[in-house]
Amino acid sequence: MTGMFASIAWRNLWRNPRRTLITLVVVAVGVWSILTFDVMLKAFGTSSRETSLRLLTGEAQIHAPGYLEDPSVARRMPTPGGSLLGALDSPLVDAWAPRVRVPAIVQSEYRTRSITLLGVSPARERTVSDMPAQVVAGRYLSSDTDPGIVIGQHLAEKLKTRIGKRLIILVQSSDGRLAETSFTIVGLFGGTQGAQDEYAFTSLRAAQGILGVGNDVSEISLFGADDANLDGVVSALKSAAPALDIQPWTTLSPMAYTIETFSQTYVGIWLMIMFVLMAIGIVNTQLMAVFERTREFGLLQALGMRPGLIVLQVTLESAMLIGIGILVGIVLMLLTVVPLLGGLDTGFLAQGMELIGMGQILYPRIDPAAAAGSCLVVWVLGIGAALWPARAAANVDPVVAMAEL
Amino acid sequence: MSSIIQCRGVEKIYRQGDVEVPALRGIDLDIQAGDFATLSGPSGSGKTTLLSLIGGLDRPTGGEISIDGEPISGMPKARLADLRLHKIGFVFQTYSLIPVLSALENVEFILRLLKVPPAERGPRAREVLRQVGLEGLEDRRPSRLSGGQQQRVAVARALASRPAIVLADEPTANLDSQNAEELIALMAELNATSGITFLIATHDSRVIAHTRRHIEMTDGRITADERRGADIAA
Ligand SMILES: Nc1ncnc2c1ncn2[C@@H]1O[C@H](COP(=O)(O)OP(=O)(O)OP(=O)(O)O)[C@@H](O)[C@H]1O
Ligand SMILES: [Mg+2]
Repeated sequence: MTGMFASIAWRNLWRNPRRTLITLVVVAVGVWSILTFDVMLKAFGTSSRETSLRLLTGEAQIHAPGYLEDPSVARRMPTPGGSLLGALDSPLVDAWAPRVRVPAIVQSEYRTRSITLLGVSPARERTVSDMPAQVVAGRYLSSDTDPGIVIGQHLAEKLKTRIGKRLIILVQSSDGRLAETSFTIVGLFGGTQGAQDEYAFTSLRAAQGILGVGNDVSEISLFGADDANLDGVVSALKSAAPALDIQPWTTLSPMAYTIETFSQTYVGIWLMIMFVLMAIGIVNTQLMAVFERTREFGLLQALGMRPGLIVLQVTLESAMLIGIGILVGIVLMLLTVVPLLGGLDTGFLAQGMELIGMGQILYPRIDPAAAAGSCLVVWVLGIGAALWPARAAANVDPVVAMAEL
Repeated sequence: MSSIIQCRGVEKIYRQGDVEVPALRGIDLDIQAGDFATLSGPSGSGKTTLLSLIGGLDRPTGGEISIDGEPISGMPKARLADLRLHKIGFVFQTYSLIPVLSALENVEFILRLLKVPPAERGPRAREVLRQVGLEGLEDRRPSRLSGGQQQRVAVARALASRPAIVLADEPTANLDSQNAEELIALMAELNATSGITFLIATHDSRVIAHTRRHIEMTDGRITADERRGADIAA
């Protein structure tokens, strides 16, 4: 139906190839930056979330009510059994690990530090946390009854101790007394300095023993199945254990959640900035094109083309121009991002980034729906901006067609 | 014969800052359907201005113009566009064609605006181009046609839309005498065969020699209006 108008629009675009190419470059670079920025920020958000969740948090945690406000030995729960165990072992949950987790004092011959003591079940712990894999000297705990302790390398330096030496752990036991037990250091872990200074790991049984809590635990960390909706997993667990406090990572680790949310906001702001620049480019070049063709628009009106149709004709031209720019931008984005799909090592930035929990390697993922959405926004808003030059064309006084050259 | 063009007391005053330039000072004119009329007069006498008012490209500052009995001075822009599309064809001194379209497409374009079905457009456009002697040049763009050929395309376009009136402003001004002769002969022939009314502003005595009616303008007024009984071209 618009075949003739489309071919006129297309040919008009190439009357001034240089100008058309400049606008194309502006749109293409703008779209490229929006899409690439989006992909990289999302990869960053995912990576920081993964890193943070694979530290200790997991995707969700189960505690006795009140534990999150007051993580003391009193706020504990029995080892999962019955319907909770059934839910944890169901296909909804990928992995879970029980922990005893209490504040403690660690003492070497020279120094004393306050830490968080975690009694873990090593085999299960490996399925929900990367910390066992971060041992840089010695070994991780080998069983639920391992008598050793694993601490951060940095903490060991601060305590002026090393593998093979003994440490005293002081905790408030379940009966309110201060319990004191000595452990031999069997391994040191690396990773972030904050984690190195904060955590010490013993076996689950050893921790339960010094606290005198029998088989009780403080915390269960878990990951939902990949294809399961986390909210669904959480509510399934809640109905299996209505008396317990079950929270998703978004409330447990607000920092990771904030970074992920912010990335959306940044992409939005970037889209606006780039869009304003693109709109200025489009309006400028199209206005120039219209002014150069003033006489022609007079002619079109003299021939009986309605002003509305002239707006359509010029807008079609802009829509094509912006559309091609967007396609080129998509291609540029693919050329940039596809080589990075295997992982982008940000080791060179890692020092600074660790502070906000970014992992060393980003795995960019292209989200076709989000990309299509951004492109559509640029296209529609770009066409909106191009209505200005289109109106200018329709407002050309038809009498200029008569003017002598 | 009925008046296809009727001007009553038409005035046009151009304003340039504080200066008023009266271009038309009260034109009363009736052109009958099927007429072949020329308009001449010294430079600045108002020929172009009168044609642009009759064609609805501009509005008079006084008086009334009717096309086919319809007063046009109060018509909105879009209706004026429709009026031009359906009733008026233009041939300008230069630049009467859309530069990005071939000769054939320029003619098809007007048919597209008239919503002629696509299958009919091509054959109809070829036929009128053949009538104006442009067979074989259909696919050339205006930049690759001579001035005379371009004016023929403009005439072919006017012919294809079957307007009531063709308004031509100095159509031969940029043509050599042979091309000018041929263009006039073509217009006279179309006037005779299809009954289209022609109003041509021109200084060209060869054009004037073909006409049934010759109007002289001086200083925004009609100073002579000469009708001839016989069509000299016939
Ligand atoms: N847009 C305009 N603004 C101001 N004055 C104008 C404008 N167009 C025409 N005029 C003036 O109106 C008068 C009539 O001009 P017009 O172009 O109609 O004359 P013309 O008979 O066509 O002349 P020519 O033979 O040179 O083409 C002239 O004095 C001209 O200067
Ligand atoms: Mg003139």
